[in-house]
Amino acid sequence: MTERDHNTTADTPADIPSSHDEKGSPVLCTVAKFAATLTLLVSLIIFYQGHNLPGGGFIGGVLAAAAGAMVLLGWGANSWVARIAWWRVSVVGLLISLTTGVVLMFVSPSGDFMDHITLHWPIHLPTATFFDLGVYLIVIGTLMTVFVELGKEEGR
Amino acid sequence: MVIPDWMLPVIVFTPFAAAAVALFGGKWLGTRAGWLMVVAALACFSMTLTTMVGSGVVGGHHDVEVKDSGSEARATEVAAPAGGADGARGVEADDAHAPVTFVQEWIPDFDIALRFRADSFGLFFAMVISGIGLLVGFYSTHYIPNDLAKNRVGRYYASLIAFMGAMLGIALSDDLILLFVFWEITSITSFMLIGFWYEQDHARKGAWTALQVTGLGGLAMMAGFIMIGITADTFTISEIVSSPDLLSTIAASPLFGPALLLIFGGAFTKSAQWPFHFWLPNAMVAPTPVSTYLHAATMVKAGVFLVGRMWPIFESSPYWSPLLVTCGLITFSYTAYQAFKETDLKAILARTTLSTLGLVMMIYGLKAYDQDALQILNHAAYKGTLFLVVGIVEHATHTRDLNKLGGLRKQLPVTFWCCVLAALSMAGLPPFFGFVAKESLYASLLDNAFLAEHAALKWPIIGLAVVSNAFIFAVSWKLILGVFCGPRKDAHSPDVSHDAHEHGQHEDGGHGEDDHGHHGESFGLWLPPLVLASVTLIVGLLGATKVVEFLVNGFSSKADAHAHVTLIPSLSHPEPLYLSLATIGLGVLFYFGRRPINAAQRGVDNVLPTMQSLWDVAMHSVTAFATGYSKWWQRGSLRWYITGILMFFVGLTLWTLLGRGGLSIHGAIEQVQFAGVPWYAYGLFALLIWAALTVATSKTRLGAAIAITATGFLVSLVFVIYRSPDIVLTQILIETVSTIFILLILYFMPKFKKERGADFRRFFCVLVSCAVGFTMFAFTLMATSEQFKPKNNLAGDYLNRTLPEGDGANAVNVIIVDFRAIDTTGELIVVVVVGMCIFGLLQARRMKPKEVDA
Repeated sequence: MTERDHNTTADTPADIPSSHDEKGSPVLCTVAKFAATLTLLVSLIIFYQGHNLPGGGFIGGVLAAAAGAMVLLGWGANSWVARIAWWRVSVVGLLISLTTGVVLMFVSPSGDFMDHITLHWPIHLPTATFFDLGVYLIVIGTLMTVFVELGKEEGR
Repeated sequence: MVIPDWMLPVIVFTPFAAAAVALFGGKWLGTRAGWLMVVAALACFSMTLTTMVGSGVVGGHHDVEVKDSGSEARATEVAAPAGGADGARGVEADDAHAPVTFVQEWIPDFDIALRFRADSFGLFFAMVISGIGLLVGFYSTHYIPNDLAKNRVGRYYASLIAFMGAMLGIALSDDLILLFVFWEITSITSFMLIGFWYEQDHARKGAWTALQVTGLGGLAMMAGFIMIGITADTFTISEIVSSPDLLSTIAASPLFGPALLLIFGGAFTKSAQWPFHFWLPNAMVAPTPVSTYLHAATMVKAGVFLVGRMWPIFESSPYWSPLLVTCGLITFSYTAYQAFKETDLKAILARTTLSTLGLVMMIYGLKAYDQDALQILNHAAYKGTLFLVVGIVEHATHTRDLNKLGGLRKQLPVTFWCCVLAALSMAGLPPFFGFVAKESLYASLLDNAFLAEHAALKWPIIGLAVVSNAFIFAVSWKLILGVFCGPRKDAHSPDVSHDAHEHGQHEDGGHGEDDHGHHGESFGLWLPPLVLASVTLIVGLLGATKVVEFLVNGFSSKADAHAHVTLIPSLSHPEPLYLSLATIGLGVLFYFGRRPINAAQRGVDNVLPTMQSLWDVAMHSVTAFATGYSKWWQRGSLRWYITGILMFFVGLTLWTLLGRGGLSIHGAIEQVQFAGVPWYAYGLFALLIWAALTVATSKTRLGAAIAITATGFLVSLVFVIYRSPDIVLTQILIETVSTIFILLILYFMPKFKKERGADFRRFFCVLVSCAVGFTMFAFTLMATSEQFKPKNNLAGDYLNRTLPEGDGANAVNVIIVDFRAIDTTGELIVVVVVGMCIFGLLQARRMKPKEVDA
């Protein structure tokens, strides 16, 4: 789309701070504070229970990103959430997933990528959970990157 | 002496190691990198020589004394198609003189291995490569200017040394695919070296043309090799050549003809045979040592070498002789004719080089295989010298134009004598090697079995050979007399040139300037051509004995070659001598008539289109097509791309479902049971349809976005009815996040506008959406129907395996993170890359205004 629709906000000069740089409405902020924390907790639970119950790294990640979006809506581009280099989170996630898979190639009996082993100590934990943790981080990282960057774009 | 088999890979890979040092140490080494090449070449040369002597592959099999009966024996042998193969087998059987072989597994699944084999022809070639590499490396250290950027010098030597390694690889490979790999390395290094003065347009163009032509030829050759590999079930050259069964299998295969044509495509482009000859004169923009080494002495001979390697396989083909003789003869005579016209020294040498290559191709076509080593060695010696001489001349005068040169004898005495020796050899005068080679060639042509069979061709071919050689004779005298005798004509006479000359300016083609301001000849420059020139003389003189005959017959690609080589013409069979005399007489005529002849040649040339111009047109149309196609397909419209992707998806899915599987959509619909559907589900469906229609008819984007969200949430309710909590959860979350996305992007989107054709476009989009919807509908319906289940019960299979093998109760998750984890990893990488791309694009957008301000 080469042609941008010129409405009033697009025409405002860049040096005048737009509404997105400031704190949003106090109601939104107050609600977001609690709602986001709760959502993040739920996302962790969903991620953790994923191996046996509905859930998993992907959905957990999406839910966590939704929590992040709430914070962004409340506090805008100035919040600490917006300052995190989220793409690094996704890269860390990718490294975790790849490492798990490759390590299991050497450790597991079959020698396949991401063949399954269950750890029994200190807690009962299938190795797939580590892979899933990578998925979780990647989804959060990528979604948050897009939210933050598009949000900044809008704030200009 | 027993030669260890690891000697062969060491010969081939030593230069590559040296090239790596030159590349990475180039900044520190500077022009000293040239000594790396000297050392590497010396090492390779001595190892090759050791291998040759130690394994006794040369001469061990030969009976030198058989000569008179040899010519008759040859005649009968050539007439029988399999005769050459028999000869090759003779060497195999002889265990005492078996060639050294080395095998190291590489890609065992395809029977591709690092196979090296040092037979006499390969060793001969390797010796020429490393020997001339040694001289060229030494010459380069004195030729490449000191004032160049150090890493550039390093890159130059790295390419040159790597090239040497690749050529040695071609010479010693016994595996078709390995040979192809080295072949392509020579194309690439040649590209880098031709484009050494990449600031200049014509250097870039010359490099491009060479890479395009030889690269395409190389790919064709690879296809030919694979065809042979498929037919023979092996890529080992010696195995194919030595087995009559395999040879007859290949000859009977329908791939025989195509394989031959494709491999000729590789050989003809590499050796610059007509109609692919044009890249070689263009490649002469390279620094002179490069021209000497790549484009005269070695690389262009790779095509000839390949034909020499392949003839036992292909000579029974009906295409063999016609193709080789036609293309070889045209190249041989046409380029000799052209060489006579040129005034640029390097252009002259390029054309005479082409001429000799054409000659060798022709003698391969005439099945006179025993001539090859002789002609290759002869050409490498004199042409190498002449190129190096031209380098010195250019160095001293900054020009290569024959019209601007003359009288350099006083200034460059040693160079003059080198040039005399080499040019006289090229002219084919006794007692030089050139004379010996030409006599042998004429004797071989007169005695040729193929020509005896096709008597109508005999005298035309011999006549053309005489005329072409006469042109080359005249060219030789042009070089000696035009450059070194007569009055001085060049602007850069030795006393004024240094002051007038500015360093770093290479506009008139004077690339090879050094820092010392010494514009005469120096030891480092004249020693290599002197060595090569003395080779032409010494070998020529040795021609009086049997040594040369013994050697070149031993080196030939034919195992029991019987080329008749002697300096002293036989008086009982004086016909070759008559032909030589005719050549000389005609050559003298050409030389004295050079002005009118040249004028006539130029008149003709202006009328005919050159192969170069045809090639340019072809290349231009390729780019024009690519541009046009890209513009049409990559039109920058998001709607267009999505439509393309979706329609592809629809077509592929429907074709797979309906076209092949024996599934029917009717059968699937019949199985659907409406009885169990609760009443509220119908209400839900009605809402869904209404929401979808709202999306399609909405007047604003915001409305459409909200309707899309509504559709998504309604779909998740469908999953609630069918009790699938996992999917409900996913669906709701994805819908939430998509809505956030849409709202974020909505800000940047233009309003729906009432423009011309907007209604039609919307209608088209609705059609596409319906097609996608129908496809998904059909897909789901059929995948869940009974006709599909018994054959592919993936779901049941996974459900059974989940707990025991994945230690998890959630089948979906276990599939994602365990069973199909490698697929998931691929998706994860895509997601990360997409995220970073979005990040990068938006960052770049934001950066732009700042850059404009600065």
